[in-house]
Amino acid sequence: MKLELDDVGAATVVRVFEANVDARVAMEFRTLMAREITAGKRRLALDLREVDFMDSSGLGAVVSVLKALQPDGDLVVFGLRGPVLRLFQLTRMDRVFRLLPDEAAALEALAMPGEGAT
Amino acid sequence: MKRDTDTIGPVTAAEATAAIVGHARHSLGRLWDEVTPREALLAVSMAVRDHLLERMADTERQWRATGAKRVCYLSLEFLMGRSLGNNLINLGLHDAFRQALAGLGHDLDDLLETERDAALGNGGLGRLAACFLDSMATVGIAGHGYGICYEYGLFRQEIDGGRQRERPDNWLAGGTPWLVERPDEACIVPLYGRIEHAADRAGGYNPMWMDWKILVGVPHDMPVAGYGGLTVNALRLFSARATDDFDMGIFNEGDYLRAVEGKIASETVSKVLYPSDAVEAGRELRLVQEYFFTACALHDIVRRHLKDHADLRDLASGVAIQMNDTHPALAVAELMRLLVDEHAMDWDEAFAITRATLGYTNHTLMPEALERWPVALFETVLPRHLQILYEINARFLASVEARWPGDAARQRRMSIVDEGPPRQVRMAHLAIVGSHSINGVAELHTRLVKSDLVPDFHAMWPERFNNKTNGVTQRRWLQSCNPGLAGLLTQSVGDGWITDLESLRALEPFAEDPAFREAFRAVKRRNKEALARVIQGTNRVVVSPDALFDVHAKRIHEYKRQLLQAMHVVHQYLRLVEDGVSPVVPRCFVFAGKAAPGYRIAKEIIRLVNDLSATLRKDPRSRGVLDVVFVPDYRVSLAERIMPAADLSEQISTAGKEASGTGNMKFAMNGALTMGTLDGANVEILEAVGADNIYIFGLTAEEVARHVAEGSYHPADVYRGHPRVQRVLDAITSGRFCPGEPDRYAWIRQRLVDGADEYFHLVDLDACLDAQDRASADFADPDRWTTMAIRNVARMGRFSSDRTIREYARDIWGVVPTR
Repeated sequence: MKLELDDVGAATVVRVFEANVDARVAMEFRTLMAREITAGKRRLALDLREVDFMDSSGLGAVVSVLKALQPDGDLVVFGLRGPVLRLFQLTRMDRVFRLLPDEAAALEALAMPGEGAT
Repeated sequence: MKRDTDTIGPVTAAEATAAIVGHARHSLGRLWDEVTPREALLAVSMAVRDHLLERMADTERQWRATGAKRVCYLSLEFLMGRSLGNNLINLGLHDAFRQALAGLGHDLDDLLETERDAALGNGGLGRLAACFLDSMATVGIAGHGYGICYEYGLFRQEIDGGRQRERPDNWLAGGTPWLVERPDEACIVPLYGRIEHAADRAGGYNPMWMDWKILVGVPHDMPVAGYGGLTVNALRLFSARATDDFDMGIFNEGDYLRAVEGKIASETVSKVLYPSDAVEAGRELRLVQEYFFTACALHDIVRRHLKDHADLRDLASGVAIQMNDTHPALAVAELMRLLVDEHAMDWDEAFAITRATLGYTNHTLMPEALERWPVALFETVLPRHLQILYEINARFLASVEARWPGDAARQRRMSIVDEGPPRQVRMAHLAIVGSHSINGVAELHTRLVKSDLVPDFHAMWPERFNNKTNGVTQRRWLQSCNPGLAGLLTQSVGDGWITDLESLRALEPFAEDPAFREAFRAVKRRNKEALARVIQGTNRVVVSPDALFDVHAKRIHEYKRQLLQAMHVVHQYLRLVEDGVSPVVPRCFVFAGKAAPGYRIAKEIIRLVNDLSATLRKDPRSRGVLDVVFVPDYRVSLAERIMPAADLSEQISTAGKEASGTGNMKFAMNGALTMGTLDGANVEILEAVGADNIYIFGLTAEEVARHVAEGSYHPADVYRGHPRVQRVLDAITSGRFCPGEPDRYAWIRQRLVDGADEYFHLVDLDACLDAQDRASADFADPDRWTTMAIRNVARMGRFSSDRTIREYARDIWGVVPTR
């Protein structure tokens, strides 16, 4: 899976360079992220700008990251386009995740206290 | 942009010629003198399509510019038939193209005959939807049809050894010029999976839909031209595709075939039309089809609304959605899901919008056709929708409790969920609860919906129930299919009837005019000759146009009583060969219709008709005096040949069973007299044409209902007490018409004499035979018959689908037609 992690202050931007986040890469993503979280990364901004499509296993993997960050970590998502945004909406995941338009907004949101992951 | 008041520009034959030859060359890569018949049809159709698409784009722009309220007609079936002839007429291009083709060495009529029907429906319900699209475009309503782009339409029927054989109807195989694919507007539809009960960021309950699968709905637009070509709306049909990445996981594991199988499985959703309107319960693919097209349609409706509106709060003022029967009833839950889940709307507000937007048309009182889905299946396919449905039901039952405190029995009857066992979702209840309007399709039918089908709902919301008697478009069912009569009418009373069928009232005095009657008869004669040629081609039988053409053409179903007509045939035959009484007039009994592949009795009825046909043809005493033909593969284009040629139209369903019928209207519009029971719209046809111009017989719906309630119908007594009935039954079940297998029709005695005769054949047979004798006597007097036939045509005004659509527009949709 093509993935890059950039530490920006206390936050980590997780850049996904896969057009399709599906069963093929979901497990690997889940494993990679679990390792990073165990290593101490607790405030994550997931960059989906390059993602055209996610299937349910892809979305499930993102949910698993959120769960792994509980109770004190935080995950925000930015750069959702077209079908990916619609999938978040129609499965009501837009109410669980904070969806933000770009990286700056995502980092700002991570810096704001009070609205962490649930 | 052209204004609504413009007329479509005249097209010369030279321009039509250039367009046809141009498409042959540039769209098909052929010189005109090299084209195959299929390519010739394609080139002509594409030349016509140019006009359609230009107008369609103009029309859409105009609807947006004027902020027209959209009417979205959701139907699992659209029985469109052929398009070219109808488009030529409605666009005013008919004469130019006829002339152009003549110059190119082709006859337009021959070419029209080569077009395949778009058979995306079973019968009346689907054809009604097609007539409604024509009328909406003609009267000037922003009407959008939504359905499924089935790859295989209703099966083709072949008759082999007297029995029906089904053959696939791959109508898209040769390509169709009438669909414009819109992949850029494809939408995604999730289904299956499970609900994870989670919390949102504020800590509130937030059900998340997990582990779903995805279908992609790709729209295809079929332009629908109104008469005069001023409005061209679109019928949007969705085909199901897998996402490109549907099973990439499997693909990348190296299992290419399994990945492709998964892709094929998802594309199966739009593969085939279910060949019956009463689908066996629990057919998962059917439920998926219903959800698929409903979800695609609503996605499209919302997308279009949001182009010109800030949000969905004013959806009901911008859009009216009509559900054609319960097949799209999932629209209630899906619209709620869209509003609540995707647009974060408060439940009460969302439900108010849903109800104000949706209307439901009921089409049947037959219990087996009332859809129910097992809760377990529903939960598997649509887990989130089941949650929403439960919530709708809980709130609805609370309102029932408030209205009738403590009436648990009533709550059980009205609940959207039948607690079983097995537990089932009642789709009609879902549709009613989620709609601001519930309508039946004929006066009698609507009365029975209120009194017998859902009386509790009527008691709760009487103001929501209304009637909209069906109609048919005279552009297809008179002007296009019967040019001889259309020309005569226009010559006599002008062409106003094409858009105002009531204006045929002016024809009344012509019924007394001997010259007109003669001309009317000549038209009918030519139409009968044309049908005789069709029959010769399909059945290898020569029938005489001198005979009374007595036609029973519709889906084969026990309640429609093809069997009663078969018994009438047997009576006529026995009277001839055993009593030595020749019929007053020779008759040609024409049957046509398809039986659902799994409906054994319906298929046996077809076989009986074919056995009668063979027996009467072999017998020199009956040959040429009493002919029976079963014309195979009944479909819209065949109906267009049959209707204009009929003298007598058989509309003899068991009273209280046929919701409306529309064949009855098409026949009468073409000058056939009706032999009917007091069922469906026959009741209103009787009112319209007068008792002297129709043959009515048989039990009324009330009498049938009373017999059922009191158990007072004893068919064995009727059999014993009525010699004509007894003789007919004995002849059929004796093996006389199937000597090689004498017991072939023993089941008829078992069902009709020893059994309950559920559809009241025996008790109605005597009255039927008497009415048929009256018809024969009248037919023997050509002037009398023709006078009655002309009066039928003159009095059919109210059965135009233009009238029906105007009533829907005024009473249900709240839209004002522009014309």
